[in-house]
Amino acid sequence: MAELDVDISLPLSQFVLQARFRSRSPALAVLGPSGAGKTSLLEVLAGLRPRAKGTVRMDGAPLPEDPERRSVGYVPQDALLFPHLTAEDNLRFGLHGRPDADRRLAEVAEMTDVGGLLRQYPHTLSGGERQRVALARALAPQPRLLLLDEPLASLDAELKQRILPYLFRVRDEAKVQLVYVTHHWGEARLLADEALLMRGGTVVAQGSTQEVLSPKALADVGPLPDADNVIRGAWEATKEGPALRVRGGLLWVPTAEAEPKGTATFLVPAEDILLSTRPLEGISARNVFPAAVRDVAAVGTDAWVRFEGCGEEWWARLTPASVRELGLTAGTPAFAAIKAHAFRRLR
Amino acid sequence: MSGADFEVVRLTLLTALGATALNLPLAVLAGWGLARWSGAGRVATETVLSLPLVLPPTAVGLVLLQALAVGSPFGRLLDALGVEVMFTWKGVVLASAVMSFPLLVRSARTAFAEVDPRLVGVARTLGASRWGAFWRVELPLAAQGVVAGTVLAFARALGEFGATILIAGNIPGRTQTLALAIYHRVQMGKEAQAWPLVALTTLIAFAAIAAAERIGQRRQGEVRG
Repeated sequence: MAELDVDISLPLSQFVLQARFRSRSPALAVLGPSGAGKTSLLEVLAGLRPRAKGTVRMDGAPLPEDPERRSVGYVPQDALLFPHLTAEDNLRFGLHGRPDADRRLAEVAEMTDVGGLLRQYPHTLSGGERQRVALARALAPQPRLLLLDEPLASLDAELKQRILPYLFRVRDEAKVQLVYVTHHWGEARLLADEALLMRGGTVVAQGSTQEVLSPKALADVGPLPDADNVIRGAWEATKEGPALRVRGGLLWVPTAEAEPKGTATFLVPAEDILLSTRPLEGISARNVFPAAVRDVAAVGTDAWVRFEGCGEEWWARLTPASVRELGLTAGTPAFAAIKAHAFRRLR
Repeated sequence: MSGADFEVVRLTLLTALGATALNLPLAVLAGWGLARWSGAGRVATETVLSLPLVLPPTAVGLVLLQALAVGSPFGRLLDALGVEVMFTWKGVVLASAVMSFPLLVRSARTAFAEVDPRLVGVARTLGASRWGAFWRVELPLAAQGVVAGTVLAFARALGEFGATILIAGNIPGRTQTLALAIYHRVQMGKEAQAWPLVALTTLIAFAAIAAAERIGQRRQGEVRG
């Protein structure tokens, strides 16, 4: 991946956006509370803020001033499809005059599964469909950098689950460097390997998602938004039925299929995880495994506990009282219990 | 309808069309500029552009008369080009164009202001130049508002009287439009002959306004849809 080297400043109404960072990450998450300057940062990267000072370089070469010569794809939060054009003409917008337009159209339509929507106008599409068309439109001209501004924020939980797999496909197949703005750190952890934390227009932390997305760092930044765990694994057939193979073991998850194949992604809400300091027996939860607590932070009326178990990183949301009573701190050996039905399939 | 009536209607329609055609590109650019430009002087510019709407048409006519006078810079330019405006059909076109310009500018400005400027940004990240984004995104999205404004401006041009009579006079067969012909016939005490012309103007204006309403309604429907 190319090295993205950003050193910019832009006066905004509340503060001056001053971002300085370098990243070679194929998928960089930009996190922070609302009003931290995340969207403005993306607009500067896209070249849409002519008043911004400083430079944005890729592999040492400054990006051109004009957005049309930057080769940067942009998916705004509300999709912003061209309302007077069909989905197909939206996708073709950036392919104007290209000899490979038809081939590119077919490729991105396939990747985002919008082939059946091409003749529709944006106002007839659902929120999730609009996001997919916007994603396909930005990908069509093969940008070097793809900027995603909270692509899931305006969608309800069910729609989120439908869009996430397309984001995975884009990340894994499209050969484009992603910059992904979100305030949902479950998404950030899942999609990105590197994260930037912003507050008040400046970058306050940068590093691997595991380093940056610690309960303490996030408690520092502001109220924590929803922090669902997102778990990916491969199906494995066992005597007791299909199970999900993750890095450090097997998880029992619900499935309607008799013999599921390939990989699957599940979402586990942080409040659906039980923690115990004693071994758990005689409990109906299907998944019980040792948990190594890494850190604990109190934020408002919640206590957030990050732990490792089954080779995965998990977040549990407890009450400060139970954290006190159990004496949970970094290093405490514990056990986690998760019902099979706490796992919600992302499809 | 007599041959003279026919001639009046023909001249009226042609000059109103000419005025509208002359206005369209300028007013679209001005409306777009006013919608997109937020710098100092915007309000002042807008006010100046809207003046013909509120000033007595004869006042505007007098200003035009002064501007076109033989010794004035504009008059000299026209003279050098061999274009004769005063007391010709071109004078009718110019007077109606100036008087109907604000209507078109205002409609165009409203139509462009309704186009989300962030769409321009998206278009540019997709390779469109600023000018390309105007043609491919802003203009098509503002088109219905612009067309509705064009019809209104055309209707306004049809009935132009005060400025026209000052710079083009009231010459039958040359500069006499419907509005002037009605005035002329009433002045001559031939009211009976003025009525058919009143009926004709009403018919044309009715058709134009109905068309503008239809376009406006279709637009609202689409926004809601």
